[in-house]
Amino acid sequence: MIALMDFLTVFTQPELLLLVGLGTFAGIYVGAIPGLSVTMAVSILISFTFSWDVYPAISLMIGIYMGGVYGGSRTAILLNIPGAPSAIATALDGYPMAKRGEAGTAIGVTTVMSFIGGFVGIGVLALAAPLVSEFALKFQPRDYMLLAILGILLVGSLSQGSLVKGIFAGALGIAIGAVGRDPLTFAERFTFDFQLLEGGISFIAVMIGMFGVSEALLQLHHVDKDAVRQKITRIVPSLATVKKHLPLSLQTSTIGVTIGALPGTGGDIAALMAYDHAKRVTKNPERPFGDGAMEGLVAPETANNSAVGGAFIPMMTLGIPGDAVTAIMIGALFIHGLNPGPMLMIDQPDMFWFIVGCLVMANIFMLIFGLTGIKLFTRIVEMPRSVLIPLIMLLSIVGAYAVNNSVTDVYWMLGFGVFGYFMRHYGYPLGPVILGVILSRLLDDNWRRAIISEREDLGRFFEGIVTSPLSLVLFVSVILIFVSQTPLWSKAKARIFKDGKAKS
Amino acid sequence: MKRMIVGALSAFALTATAAIAEYPEKEIQGIIQWGAGGSTDTVMRSVTPHAEEALGGTVVMQNMTGAVGAIALNHVAGSEADGYTILMGAENPMLYKIMGLGDKDYGEFTPISILARGTPVLVAHPDAPFNDYAGMIAYVKENPGEVRFGSTGPGGLPSVITAMINAVEGELDVTAVPYDGDGPALTGLQGGAIDVMPAVLGASIEGIRAGNMKVLAIMDTAANDKLPDAPFVTQFNEGYNTYLPWGPFFGVFTPKGTPDDVVAKLVDAYSTAAQNPDFVQLMDDRGFTLMGIGGDEADAFLTKWQQGTAWLLQDAGLTKASPEEFGIARP
Repeated sequence: MIALMDFLTVFTQPELLLLVGLGTFAGIYVGAIPGLSVTMAVSILISFTFSWDVYPAISLMIGIYMGGVYGGSRTAILLNIPGAPSAIATALDGYPMAKRGEAGTAIGVTTVMSFIGGFVGIGVLALAAPLVSEFALKFQPRDYMLLAILGILLVGSLSQGSLVKGIFAGALGIAIGAVGRDPLTFAERFTFDFQLLEGGISFIAVMIGMFGVSEALLQLHHVDKDAVRQKITRIVPSLATVKKHLPLSLQTSTIGVTIGALPGTGGDIAALMAYDHAKRVTKNPERPFGDGAMEGLVAPETANNSAVGGAFIPMMTLGIPGDAVTAIMIGALFIHGLNPGPMLMIDQPDMFWFIVGCLVMANIFMLIFGLTGIKLFTRIVEMPRSVLIPLIMLLSIVGAYAVNNSVTDVYWMLGFGVFGYFMRHYGYPLGPVILGVILSRLLDDNWRRAIISEREDLGRFFEGIVTSPLSLVLFVSVILIFVSQTPLWSKAKARIFKDGKAKS
Repeated sequence: MKRMIVGALSAFALTATAAIAEYPEKEIQGIIQWGAGGSTDTVMRSVTPHAEEALGGTVVMQNMTGAVGAIALNHVAGSEADGYTILMGAENPMLYKIMGLGDKDYGEFTPISILARGTPVLVAHPDAPFNDYAGMIAYVKENPGEVRFGSTGPGGLPSVITAMINAVEGELDVTAVPYDGDGPALTGLQGGAIDVMPAVLGASIEGIRAGNMKVLAIMDTAANDKLPDAPFVTQFNEGYNTYLPWGPFFGVFTPKGTPDDVVAKLVDAYSTAAQNPDFVQLMDDRGFTLMGIGGDEADAFLTKWQQGTAWLLQDAGLTKASPEEFGIARP
């Protein structure tokens, strides 16, 4: 009963309600601008809310977090520039929809699906947090490594056309991710003795350049053509549409909440894995994936928003951050005199239920703010290209600079923009590059951790995989997914089917 | 010629007005060496608002990560020594030179305040087959290479503590598994990916309280009032008295050459802030020892810290260059 009271705190205090709303609203716009990240917004808020009480401070932060994760989809759909890494997969099918004049529908579906995903995440947090965090802790370095390999196999679904070009792009991404001082041994890699390269290449700069600048350059080809007229007949998706996608959205939410709960992986990987899952299970999409398939929006958007609830699971139960934003929130709790850790749930259960309440409220606000003002937003795509292209460039430059307040990042961004333009021109997909950069560290660090733990003995390493049920499941999935992408699989399938028919 | 004189005169006039004008007359940039949410970040973000109050100005804090903090350090070292760009960092830059990570350290800076110091502690997974420091040493000797220690790269706290153990007990055959920070390593410890982790008390205290990890020994010469029942390492081996007490620290620095009155104001502001009850409470909760020293006292502390740690690592064979090359005397 006390839990219920704590849960309802946020609903009964207008001041807190207002702060959550304000946070969500601001989050949507901060999230929509590439380079302005939720992580950054929340860390600024720590100083800003220093003298406040803990409840209002947390309310505002949670609002920004929830709104920001959703907001990244806006620019992904409208301009093909993901506002945040977790919206990369959203751009793949969202932007083609906008090009067809269906930006309104795309944003509508995205909003409702984010809302559903958000609730699944919160539900799991509220009902099964200790269980999930126990499971998440079971992941050993070798399991993270297998997860990263599983992620790299997504190259197949992210590259339309030539798989070889996709693999090349993925490998390039992994190499880009490895530049700089290796965080484990501090050895320099691909730095060529330039001090500039020691800190590595900012992943956000690569993303903004590859998507934003290359898009602007590509648009220059059509500068004299008229912009696509947007039809804004239906923004809120019909109940039938929601119902149709409900099974998929529940599956992808589960992926989201699990990946979100793992310390070290977050919404970006969750969204990409969910996209891949959708591509695998959807037999007959109305439109092919990459061409504006609704499922291609449903999957990543449910996953990245359910990852929010997921990220709070290890934070609340163990004091271990589930992602960068929850890491900062742990700092904020410390500053406000709490001791986040395994004892927080026991010492101060009110905090847990208060956070759950805030998340619920933020999720509702996200739906409200998300569905209003869409008409205004879709106008962006209708702007003449002579206005739109400079706008994209401006956004990209500001975004790249904002990440580290460094001009170097702007140069990187522009360089990768030009490079991305040529890659597109020659039919190299950009998705796998970003995938490679995201997974590079995860794969590299955990492979080394895993093999060092086994005293660099491959035999012991494989023994570990076979004896741990979790590793075994992941390992078998890697093999199956890999084989399913080779010609071997279709041959085997054909034979099995033939046999089946012969028998019947 | 005339133009030069006018130029020189106006430059003189400018510096003169700058000196007369009350510092701070604009925002101060505080560059935090480590990422948001980490120990350094938390400490700096909680002390600075109190310092702002004392200073009557604004300090805009910004995280600048990369290359174990060297990027932030070089950035501040390269900015103008006017007190408007200050560095908020931890202990590790003192080891950059000998670790081959950079050619600058806090020697390029004037310390404003060494705020607090942490106490290292050896923690283990609750299922580990030993319950205290002596048990661990015995187990490692019986099972060479089997015990996995967490590490955070050369020069990090775990590497220093491991070097200390090797110096006192003789070479121990343990497997060092690298992590990119003590947070992820302690997560790995709780999941059983590593067995033992030398960590700072503040980062592990909540896990210890909950029984998710057990204390093998506090790496100090006396019991800690946060964990009064936990054994301290000199109980097991007197040899540690040579090296302890040792610990990581947090400090605020300004480039050398900053005007004295500006330094004095900053020192004053941060030493006032370090005594703020809220901050004292926070440091105590996190298991840090409050220091709040500035000026010559801080300089002496830094020199002693660098000498002790650099030579310890040198003797353990972990350095890229000898401390002697940089004029770091053997303690």
